[in-house]
Amino acid sequence: MNPDFSGDNPWFAGKDARRLGLFALILAGFLVSLLLVRSAEEVTELPRSISDPFTFAEWVNQAEIWLKENYRWFTRMIAGEIETALYFVEDFLLDSPWLFILMLLVLPALYFGGLPLALLTVAGGLFWGGVGMWEASMQTLALMGMAVILSIALGVTLGILCSQSDRFELVLKPVLDTMQTMPAFVYLLPAVFFFGIGGPPAILATMIYALPPVVRLTNLGIRQISPETLEAARSFGATRLQILFKLQIPMSLPSIMMGINQTIMMALGLVILATFIGAEGLGSEVWKAIYKLKVGWSLEGGICIVFMAIIFDRLSMAISNRQKIPLPASSMRFHLLPQSWEVHSWATAVERPISLVWKACAACFGWCVDRLAHGLAMVVRVTGDSRSESVRNFISSHKFLFGSIIVLTAILLIDRFGFRIGGFPEALTFSFREPVDAGVKWLSSNPTFIAFTKGLRAVIYLGLLNPLNIYLTHIPWYVVVIVLGLVGWISVGRNFGITCITLLMFIGACDLWTEAMLTLSSVLVSVFVCFAFGLPIGVLAAHSRRFDMFLRPILDAMQTLPSFVYLIPVLMFFGGNIVSAVIATVVYAMPPVIRLTTLGISQIPVTYTEVASSFGSTGMQTLGKVKFPMALPSIMLGLNQAVMMALAMQVVTPLIGGGGLGRDVFNALNISDTGYGLAAGTGIVLLAIILDRLSQAWTRTQRKALGL
Amino acid sequence: MNLSKSTQTLIGGVSAAVLLSTASIAEASGRLSSPIPDWTGGAVTCKVAQLILENELDYNVKAITMPSGAGVYEAIAAGDLDYACESWPSYSSSKDIMIKEFGGDGSVAYLGPVGIIGVSTYYVPRYFIEEVAPDLKSYKELNKYKEHFATLETGDKGRLIACPTPAWECDDQKRLDLLGVDFVAVELGTETAAWAEAQGAYDRKEPFLLYAWEPHWIHAKLDLVAIELPAHDPEKWPATGWAEDVTFNYGNPVFAQEHPEASALLGNMNLTNGEQAKMVLAVDVEGRDIDEVVSEWLAANEDIWRPWLP
Repeated sequence: MNPDFSGDNPWFAGKDARRLGLFALILAGFLVSLLLVRSAEEVTELPRSISDPFTFAEWVNQAEIWLKENYRWFTRMIAGEIETALYFVEDFLLDSPWLFILMLLVLPALYFGGLPLALLTVAGGLFWGGVGMWEASMQTLALMGMAVILSIALGVTLGILCSQSDRFELVLKPVLDTMQTMPAFVYLLPAVFFFGIGGPPAILATMIYALPPVVRLTNLGIRQISPETLEAARSFGATRLQILFKLQIPMSLPSIMMGINQTIMMALGLVILATFIGAEGLGSEVWKAIYKLKVGWSLEGGICIVFMAIIFDRLSMAISNRQKIPLPASSMRFHLLPQSWEVHSWATAVERPISLVWKACAACFGWCVDRLAHGLAMVVRVTGDSRSESVRNFISSHKFLFGSIIVLTAILLIDRFGFRIGGFPEALTFSFREPVDAGVKWLSSNPTFIAFTKGLRAVIYLGLLNPLNIYLTHIPWYVVVIVLGLVGWISVGRNFGITCITLLMFIGACDLWTEAMLTLSSVLVSVFVCFAFGLPIGVLAAHSRRFDMFLRPILDAMQTLPSFVYLIPVLMFFGGNIVSAVIATVVYAMPPVIRLTTLGISQIPVTYTEVASSFGSTGMQTLGKVKFPMALPSIMLGLNQAVMMALAMQVVTPLIGGGGLGRDVFNALNISDTGYGLAAGTGIVLLAIILDRLSQAWTRTQRKALGL
Repeated sequence: MNLSKSTQTLIGGVSAAVLLSTASIAEASGRLSSPIPDWTGGAVTCKVAQLILENELDYNVKAITMPSGAGVYEAIAAGDLDYACESWPSYSSSKDIMIKEFGGDGSVAYLGPVGIIGVSTYYVPRYFIEEVAPDLKSYKELNKYKEHFATLETGDKGRLIACPTPAWECDDQKRLDLLGVDFVAVELGTETAAWAEAQGAYDRKEPFLLYAWEPHWIHAKLDLVAIELPAHDPEKWPATGWAEDVTFNYGNPVFAQEHPEASALLGNMNLTNGEQAKMVLAVDVEGRDIDEVVSEWLAANEDIWRPWLP
């Protein structure tokens, strides 16, 4: 960590002449390209002599027919197995008393995440039932649970294989990239034919999308273990398998858990798409509501999904880094509020009764578990004294587990023999559909707000989107290919330059050049707007803890609320057009920009900013000349993520008037033309690969320049 | 598993219950599955068919929420769904690929007309006619008012919220060009998007030109007036209005063979627009439960549906 403020970092002073020359060159190139665009009569496409013989879509369709004829029995068999398992889980969740299921979720939350997480889980459960979506939530839980469990089983295995063989890793990497960026609409329809409708194809479609992170992070975790550790194990004569299972996998568990966490979040992102192939659950609730323009209803369904996502996100996080910070004997352990609030006397006052109840509960359950241990030990004594002792010890050392079993059994017994619990009680239901609908209606006819939306729309369309659309579609294709190839060569390497050119030629040969350029333009404008709004917000959050606390849940919700929920209000406020598509994309892709800006700035050691201000630099100067440059690697990571999320959104925006490759994917879905859809989907994947590698390379350059 | 005891008893109980319930279903003459159409009219039609199948022919129908479109056709061809109701010929291009009667390969069977006749055309909100353009009756007057319909993106041309996707083969832009209407047809991707935009504009009392059809629930929410187009003529298409949509039921060919009674009922149905509209009104405007509404209608109108039974 020794940033060189005068070296070859292009963001700081130095080597002005060379930089000036480079800028002049780029400017000249841009002017020439503008001239080319002006002189172009119509949009540019690859010559027919290249694109006509390249009938990619036709080849895919023929392959699909062949697969349908020969392998359908096999896929149907897999689907049958998955269906049996899914129905089993679903029936269990639906037929058990609701309190039992809720406790089944709350107890692990309490154990791993403490009181705050347990309360969050209770709130989530009450919300699911409260808005009348308990059944739908259970169906989604079953579906996503199955998808996640299968993803983990398969993903960890693949990750381990990857970590053991470089060649396997090399082959798998592009496959994982494709799985993650290929729009789900492309494989949704073939999935119906091969795997039927409902749960099984939805689970498989979810797995395709959600599998990559767990593979990547398992591989990464195992590979990160230091060679010295491995050497030590080897010198003790451990075999390769022993090292793997006794050392590498246990040591990489935090990384694997991180992968599982991401897999869960991604799986929950596909809940709505699963409806398109007949899977019931929260997705179909949201879809039904959207179809009838009921914003409030769809928001209720959306928040159910948000709760599910946040609960499982926090729970898996809590499992992966579970450690109790030892406290000095004098201070009281806080259960609800952050321990750092100890200094406030009101916080201690709040915690005192909670602590009392906590201790009382612990004592009560401790006593029950002791009785249970004693009783069971007595029963087992028939088979021998030593075994009886070990039973007693086992139970006494797993107090929480056996306490939980007592609670759950008690609920079941009460439900069966006493008071019937059954489904979620009517009395606890509530709804905020009507106020939300009224609010949307009020906003959409509020003159001030509509004047604002119209102004924003005009600025984005006239100032950014329209000029860029015209520029990118009219600039000759070979210019784009050569420029992007060169950029790829300079920033990543020669091989990548060649790859760039090949991938772009593929898009052009599929006759999708104009669409790809429209998609690129929409992504670039969306990311630009994300930064225009996200950077200031991120800076503000870095400077004000209170604002940060206020922002956090909003960002969580923005990231996990299904985008379908806000598509309808966006349409009502902005009308259906390419600007609405940009706005929906911005809402979706902005959170990482804000988060990573905040993170980047608040990570800067205080000493740097102190030195700057001691030299008399103002707040703005410190921000512009010290904080921004130092936070740049983190901000660039935000750029990378925003670009990827904006690209992912291009498949959803055709639903509200967006254009480009996403629209082709969607049109192909409407006429069930897999080849056409796959060609357009591949176009999106290739754009994603190019943009991802380029922005990653830039991030690396920044890091290097800062000596990080 | 640590919770084995309690879960096992529970799972045992559950699976026994499942076995029992499947056994009781097996006694019925058959189990069918069908998608619930996502528009209220279709949902009503399908519910009528479902309740007759269940009450009179002793079937057990599993209704699945699934957006209509090519996916439903695929699922029917694959045999995962047995039948579907009220397909609109104009909006289901899959029929041309899969149904023999429309020139397809026969992987999906045509069962017969439903009785609902659809009419598509362009609409404007009534307040626009009353307050601004009392003489706007047909496509000929549209150019006179085009600046009211112009937007940022369409420049000095008017804007039509067109048929949402090319898959529906509306050819809106060609029609406008051929008829000399100086408007731009904007495809929004889904019909929901079109309704959402129209709803927003309606709340603001802004003018808009919208492609829509009847019967449709949107007319229960927005007061729209149809714009006259030249009468349908296949020779001059797309420079004319649409043909009437004779909606139909369709199903899996194996289902049609194995369940002649069920498929005969689905082929004999004759639910008129007027009867459907009554039920749609009760569901969409009065907010009543669809099961209740259709059951009442069935009880009150035996003379209408009895003749459909095979």
